Amino acid sequence: MLLVLALLGMLALAVAAPPLARRLGRNTGYPLAAGYLAVAALLASAAPRVWAGETETASWEWLPSLGVSLSLRLDGVAGVFCLIVLGVGALVMAYCPGYLGEDEPHGTVYLLLTLFATSMLGLVLAADVVLLYVFWELTTVCSFFLISTAGAAAARPARQALLVTAAGGLALLAAVVLLTVAAGTTDLATILADPDRVLDSGLAWPIGGLLVLAACTKSAQLPFHFWLPGAMVAMTPVSAYLHSATMVKAGIYLLLRFSPLFAEEPAWSTALISIGLLTAVTGAFLALRENDLKGILAYSTVSQLGLLVAVIGVGTPEALAAAVLHTFAHALFKATLFMLAGIVDEETGTRDIRELSGMWRAMPVTAATTVLAALSLAGVLPMLGFVSKEYLFIGLLEAEGAPWAGPVALALGVTASVLTFGYAARIVHGGFGGSEQHSDVSEPPAAFLLPGAVAAGLGLVLGPAVSVLSPMIVSAASDVAPAGDPPEVYFWHGLSPELAMSALTIVLGLVLFGCRAPVDRALQRLRLPDAGRLFDRAHDGVIALGHVVGGPERTSSPAAHLSRPLVAVVALGGVGTLVVGGLPARADTDRPLDWVVAGLLAVVVPAAVLTGSTLAAVGLVGITGLLVAAWFLLAGAPDVALTLMLVEVMTAVVAVLVLRGVPSRFVRSPRRAAVPAAALAVGAGVAAALATLAFTGRRELSAVGEHFLDSAEEQTGGTNVVNTILVDYRGLDTLGEAVVLGTTALGTALVLGRSERRRTVTPGARGDAVLEVSARVLVPGMFLLSAFLLWRGHDEPGGGFIAALVAGAAVALNQLTHGSGTSLGRLTRPDRLAGAGLVLVVAVGALPTVQGQAFLTPVELPLLHALGIGSTLLFDLGVYLLVLGLLAAAVTRLEQPDRTAADEPPGPPVTGPLVTSGVPEQAP
Amino acid sequence: MSAALVVGLLVAGGVFLLLRRGLLRIVLGFVLLGHAVNVLLVSAGGMQRRGAPLLGETEADVAADPLPQAFVLTAVVITFGITVYMLALARAGDPGATTGHPPARSDASSPADGSDRDDADREDADTEDATADRGRRTDAAEGGAS
Repeated sequence: MLLVLALLGMLALAVAAPPLARRLGRNTGYPLAAGYLAVAALLASAAPRVWAGETETASWEWLPSLGVSLSLRLDGVAGVFCLIVLGVGALVMAYCPGYLGEDEPHGTVYLLLTLFATSMLGLVLAADVVLLYVFWELTTVCSFFLISTAGAAAARPARQALLVTAAGGLALLAAVVLLTVAAGTTDLATILADPDRVLDSGLAWPIGGLLVLAACTKSAQLPFHFWLPGAMVAMTPVSAYLHSATMVKAGIYLLLRFSPLFAEEPAWSTALISIGLLTAVTGAFLALRENDLKGILAYSTVSQLGLLVAVIGVGTPEALAAAVLHTFAHALFKATLFMLAGIVDEETGTRDIRELSGMWRAMPVTAATTVLAALSLAGVLPMLGFVSKEYLFIGLLEAEGAPWAGPVALALGVTASVLTFGYAARIVHGGFGGSEQHSDVSEPPAAFLLPGAVAAGLGLVLGPAVSVLSPMIVSAASDVAPAGDPPEVYFWHGLSPELAMSALTIVLGLVLFGCRAPVDRALQRLRLPDAGRLFDRAHDGVIALGHVVGGPERTSSPAAHLSRPLVAVVALGGVGTLVVGGLPARADTDRPLDWVVAGLLAVVVPAAVLTGSTLAAVGLVGITGLLVAAWFLLAGAPDVALTLMLVEVMTAVVAVLVLRGVPSRFVRSPRRAAVPAAALAVGAGVAAALATLAFTGRRELSAVGEHFLDSAEEQTGGTNVVNTILVDYRGLDTLGEAVVLGTTALGTALVLGRSERRRTVTPGARGDAVLEVSARVLVPGMFLLSAFLLWRGHDEPGGGFIAALVAGAAVALNQLTHGSGTSLGRLTRPDRLAGAGLVLVVAVGALPTVQGQAFLTPVELPLLHALGIGSTLLFDLGVYLLVLGLLAAAVTRLEQPDRTAADEPPGPPVTGPLVTSGVPEQAP
Repeated sequence: MSAALVVGLLVAGGVFLLLRRGLLRIVLGFVLLGHAVNVLLVSAGGMQRRGAPLLGETEADVAADPLPQAFVLTAVVITFGITVYMLALARAGDPGATTGHPPARSDASSPADGSDRDDADREDADTEDATADRGRRTDAAEGGAS
């Protein structure tokens, strides 16, 4: 309950931040700091129990099917990190009001900082690896947004930080998944309690590797260290909080947390010690050649995190205790140094140590505070940093694996510490030393300085009084140490080897400081590989590669888009035909007339494809359709053949209407350009022919076909089996099809109704006496025929589609001769027809549901039944209306002579056949 | 065998048209591909029984499989609907696009060398024109109605 309250409390603070910021502005930091302290006090109430070895837990089901729960757990190691998150958080919150300007987005900054604190708290409290991952990523996202608040200059570093740490997050996700597979649970405590289960699963190597990768990206270890100096573009409170004290410690937390699993594995130790020490020395070295205060501190953080990683790699109880203690000490002095760098920046306007000089006169208190924090960083007696560094030396000396491992690790650790002493001196001397007088610079307000001073003072007090921290450190270290008891923490060890090392560090550090001028010159001349630039180059390379890969898609040429799927289809068809096996023997079913149709097609299709005339192409494709219809007739499908014939006629009518005002010939392209298309076409044709050979003519009548033939008449009363399938058996399919038609009808009406393109006006056949007279006779006759076809469709070839196509032909004829101003034209408005058809099919379908029967069950209608009209006929009528709507849309809207709408006077609509026929909406 | 030849011819013709310039050719190619699939479907139902599935007129033992025919009937009508819609789209666009000609408008300043990039530019321009026209049209319609 305690933990839930703590997390919810943090969340409440985050939510409250923006409204508070509207009233208090930048001073919102003070109530937030108080809130952080309150949450810390809440958690601290559990401290005695935790130090006694108990844990505080809370749990809910989250994804029960996966066994993932929202569970929290406070133990020793989580406690230390909670203290850092909330303690440093409170200091930074109290620091923000002094740092932030009046006109900055306070609400956003405070919201993000508090959300980050909440995520970080969740990360260290999470008792489920999935939850751990979620909070881990949340900290990454918060970090990204916080860096981005620095404006346009922050775009590149923010992206770098996001990509590097999110990549590490993905590694963590993979590790979490593998851990769950290996251990069979997502519960962290259960996984850690039984290391052998994971270690023996065969997944230990990938899990360990991915965890190290995740930690190295988050904690800025080589070769991923570059994002951290880049992230320094963020405002200083963000650097102090996220990028020195807490978020970059998430990797340290992860490594500590999984030490019980891996600490006794040589590979884990070797990897961590080498990465850590290499990073420690490199980071310290790079810090020594930086001139920007924040840059020095960023590389210093990289270096100190390296020492922590190395000492965690040693993995003995002493080493782990040292890691915990130094994590705490580092959070204190590094946050202080950042806050002081921010103060110097605010007061003087620069952070470059080459420009700063003599500030100790102008800001003596700030200078003294900085000296305190720098002494802690350098590991000088009696600071907390001294004690923690002593323990680091003890830990490093315990490195195992080879007799020389301990001394070498210690030597590298001392080297890093000497360099650390050097750059700590550089910070103090560069920032405050020198003799220049400054009259325009003064001490910052006390409230601005206080948070840093408190942290620096704590570093001073907690050095000699380090035993106060002992229970916390011991309980944390014993939580993560695989075996053995961690030692109590003392200030004074007597005249021990590590004291000698500290002395050596200080002496060598002083020497380094003493000859700083030649060292500086030598370092500035060095040309080192810039990992950040390499990363950017790789990033730009990936983007460029994406550009190349996506290049072919960035064209509006349909051929470019269509050719690739076609190639895939050809390949699939070819491979499929070759590998398919075990087919029944093929029966030869060809009849002589089939070959006649095929032979005619062999002439007509190439002609249709190759002709340059648009009209000829439309005509030849129409003839192709008629030949296919003949083929259907031969195949015993009169309904299909009849429909197709009518469809071909109507398609030709519509196509010819479209062709008006269009160039009469296709654009000529060079023969060479058609070669790839022809090759692909031939390939597709061969693949299709082979597939047809493979999949047809190899079996008898299908069982379902036989069922329909046997029972259609008995069950539906219809003798045209195809029609009974459409309206009785597969009514829902037909309903879907009707909806498609209705959609295309409305779409066509809309597309054409909105088209205002000027074209040459071609009055068509209007005025042609023969056509007009014949239309008067033919149109009513065609409608009668259409009604007859509709009515008889259930038993004979006919039905809604065919009937509507006949009616559509009548509408087209009427339109061509009289225009749509006639009563028939008004009657056949496409939107009304489509709407009525749609309502009818759905209503007929829904009718049986009133009686509790299934949708679309055929029912007898009270009065109409006497006339021989069943619900299936009404359904077919709906289909009829929809198809007619589509035809009417195409014919009336395409036929309308082009108006010159823009030239029309805005007054009363111009009357006359040309205009009224074209604007059915405006017909009176 | 003949069905395979028919399907192969129609697919080859359809694919060739799809890959040429001009919207009308694409529509016609689509129609040919539709025919090809329909022939494939009906022949997959079996070509040895060729009686029309009309009970009472055809002996039940020679009637063709009605199910593929129902499928194809549906497919024919849907293909028709889509063909009409595509023709409407072709008509709504630039007349030249229907046949693959470069834009034949006096205000077209870009050199019409027929490259793909120009196609993209032209279509963008078309969209803008259509939008502008639509606005004018709506105004006119409202003015006329009131």
